[in-house]
Amino acid sequence: MSNSPKSAFILKGVIIIILATAAGIMSARFFLQRTVVEDELAATRFPVAREIQAFELVDHNNTVFDNAALEKRWSFLFFGYTYCPDVCPTTLSVLNSIAQRLQDVDADIRFVMVTVDPERDTPERLAEFVTYFNGDFLGVTGTDQGLEQLTRQLGILYERVQPEPGSEAYLMDHTAAVFLFDPDGRYHAVFSPPLSVEAIAGDFRKMLQAYQ
Amino acid sequence: MIQINRRIPAATALLFLTFLSTAMAESAVDVETPWIREAPPASTVLAAYMVLRNTGDTARTITGIDSPDFRDGQIHRTVVEDGVAKMLPVEQLQLPAAGSVVLEPGGLHLMLFDPRRPLREGDSVILIIHDSDGDSVTVHAPVVRKTGGHDHSHHH
Repeated sequence: MSNSPKSAFILKGVIIIILATAAGIMSARFFLQRTVVEDELAATRFPVAREIQAFELVDHNNTVFDNAALEKRWSFLFFGYTYCPDVCPTTLSVLNSIAQRLQDVDADIRFVMVTVDPERDTPERLAEFVTYFNGDFLGVTGTDQGLEQLTRQLGILYERVQPEPGSEAYLMDHTAAVFLFDPDGRYHAVFSPPLSVEAIAGDFRKMLQAYQ
Repeated sequence: MIQINRRIPAATALLFLTFLSTAMAESAVDVETPWIREAPPASTVLAAYMVLRNTGDTARTITGIDSPDFRDGQIHRTVVEDGVAKMLPVEQLQLPAAGSVVLEPGGLHLMLFDPRRPLREGDSVILIIHDSDGDSVTVHAPVVRKTGGHDHSHHH
């Protein structure tokens, strides 16, 4: 009769070992799967999407573009300017190719170019520039302060460059990356140049799956 | 007299052709696949791309460009340093003997200021490329629409 408590004790031990092993395997699988997803991404994705402090800009329809405008949809943001002949048209073409590729995705996705040259880029001028590439693209401008509120949180740099002394025209140096915001209006990931249509569209599908 | 007179146009043509072929032979820089990116209507700055090939056996230096279709033009190079895109003017573009240089989006390009007329896809512009020997090459570059999406496709 003295066997009974002993066997119960052994049984408990066995159950604990089985449960612990199962938990270990499951968490290892989970961890490994996550690692695989991260390794496969060309993007830099944050373990936890980052909250964005208040900012206020205006879109090319003269509608306020602030934190609330980033919510309820995925937003790809690029920072450029309309007097830019090479990098910005090339990037907007890449973004349009991505938009075409993601047409089948069941998610609201928006592509936005925020100007780093608000002095020259009026809403009208931006509207013409961005919609040339895709009728659904949105241009955003605003005050210098509004632009700073957003760009300093994202680590974006921009600077005016005078090609010739005394020349009226100027160029802008600017961060060339593309920033992804999730439907919570949080900074989700960043794609650094060189920008690849395949890599960005593919990464987006994976991130969308992980998010849902 | 009549016979001599008849020969004058032919002789002039021959002389002209000889001159033309000599001029062409002297220019050791070939331009392949030139094109200008169509820009939104209000754009005042456009970019042109091409392959410059030196067919000669001595190095050449491209020193500048101009165009009757634009107020001004410069050779530029886009570079990305620490994630920041910058356009740097290129004063002299070296073309090694029997070598070539590619001008393409995101890299070397001709930056063209203030088009003298609206330029739409299908238009052609004249670009004159100068080298340090005083030679120049005249190129007819088509305006091409490239917006991602359905480029290079004529299906609608």
